[in-house]
Amino acid sequence: MSVIIIGEADGSAIKPASQQAAALAAQLGDSVGLVFGSNGAASQLAAPRVVSASALKSYDALQFAAVAAQVAREAGATAVIMAATAMGKDLGPRLVAELGWGYIADALEYYDGAWIRPNYAGKVLARLEPDGPFVATLRPNAFPAGDGAAGAVEEFGGEVPDSPAMTVGMESAGSGVVELTEAAIVVSGGRGLEEAENYDKLIRPLGAALGAACGASRAIVDAGWVPHSHQVGQTGKTVTPELYMAVGISGAIQHLGGMSGSKCIVAINKDAEAPIFKVADYGIVHDLFEIVPALMAALDD
Amino acid sequence: MNIAVLVKMVPDTESRLEVRDGVLEESGFKYMINPYDEFAVEQAVQFREAGGGKVTLVALFSEATSIDTDLRKMLAIGCDEVLVLRQPGYRGDRPAANAAALAEALEALAPDIVLCGVQGIDYYQSATGPMVAHKLGMPHIASVTKLELVDGKLKAWRQVEGGLQVVETPLPALVTCQKDLTKVRFPALKDIMFSKRKPFENRPVPAAAGPDLPCTAASLPPARGGGEIIDGETPAAKVATLLGKLRTEAKVL
Repeated sequence: MSVIIIGEADGSAIKPASQQAAALAAQLGDSVGLVFGSNGAASQLAAPRVVSASALKSYDALQFAAVAAQVAREAGATAVIMAATAMGKDLGPRLVAELGWGYIADALEYYDGAWIRPNYAGKVLARLEPDGPFVATLRPNAFPAGDGAAGAVEEFGGEVPDSPAMTVGMESAGSGVVELTEAAIVVSGGRGLEEAENYDKLIRPLGAALGAACGASRAIVDAGWVPHSHQVGQTGKTVTPELYMAVGISGAIQHLGGMSGSKCIVAINKDAEAPIFKVADYGIVHDLFEIVPALMAALDD
Repeated sequence: MNIAVLVKMVPDTESRLEVRDGVLEESGFKYMINPYDEFAVEQAVQFREAGGGKVTLVALFSEATSIDTDLRKMLAIGCDEVLVLRQPGYRGDRPAANAAALAEALEALAPDIVLCGVQGIDYYQSATGPMVAHKLGMPHIASVTKLELVDGKLKAWRQVEGGLQVVETPLPALVTCQKDLTKVRFPALKDIMFSKRKPFENRPVPAAAGPDLPCTAASLPPARGGGEIIDGETPAAKVATLLGKLRTEAKVL
């Protein structure tokens, strides 16, 4: 079977989540890569053959889906795999609609033809066993990257339809900001921080010291301390980092839904009864205003 | 300006999640309006207040009527009419089939703008909105945190890794709404009273099929046991023990 991997460029580099998709695709069959917007990134994707649509710089659902569908049809593919990034989550459904295939969103595991994906923010796991062609998006960091070599790159020669929509700009969140859903380490703050300014004084510096993305509980997002893009939980983002550090977060069930798939969870909270300790691998029952500075000092050494 | 808002009913976030023989026990679920769809409702009403027109709420659900009160609240917020498509055997995890039913109803409404939530807080597939847009042959912009309607064009700021992508599109277009988009208002008492006189249609629609993949087995994730509480005389001692364990035991640093 032939499998299309849609790789995503981050500047001129291929995203790690795309290499994870490539490694899984190699297990499924003969893979053909498709990368938008960068020949540099296309030349890094771990697939024996890569189609580069380098002229398409800005994500456009209509154009990207049309190109991906052409590449899939031409290769006689029966599966398309990509990372469940902002692009993947948007492109996946469009492409499924275009091809009329089955859809596996945000997959966590794959074995012997069966896929596991999360329902209810991961509180229930659903098993899907496609017997026809399908598109799957993979949760970043849920699958290992392989050691496959990059292959020959050819330019996309098909048709790109006009799209009525047009990207007119990008507004950066600031340089050096690590993306929550792709981060290996996430440090999140909650109501225990007491005041909005303590998020900037404690959580952001701790995040920077650990090379981590910064998250938040719903309580402090609703209070307006940090934008919703930081929210972890059932009405925010689901994260599965190697290390999740919850600082001053009690652990409402909706929050636990968004982070309990993390490999290792650390909770820092002065309330020993806080539900967060029920899911934490390591807990420190202590005032966070003493622990976080001590942690910063220790990491500085 | 003709605006349609797609609203999904989702199990309440407090619902008990029990799995028996690989099947999720759903019979006890109470349903609520998907929170992301409420942002869409609020945005639609704001557009109507600024530029006139009509806001039609369209929902697809089973034949159970227990959701009417929740949907009437959306009329109190400012929607002009509600259309509930009642489908035997409806399931929330079939975006392609559901998009087909919704798109068919929307075609008759001929909306200039279609708004819906970025995802349902049940299955998190973010799929129905883009699929409806595809069926209607219109562009979509997903995960939007700010939306402006100027001179008959939409300008949208959508959440992507590291920032916001700013996209403009002529109408008609579909937009899926993120949380920061709006703050949903509390209706005034007079609006609640007035909402009772607004049109509310329940329309039977046939069961639909699509290429959606059924769940062949449900399971609960392995329970995480409570871990180890780190002791120490001082904050520095506790922190040193924690970092040691993260480096050598968990190997995550």
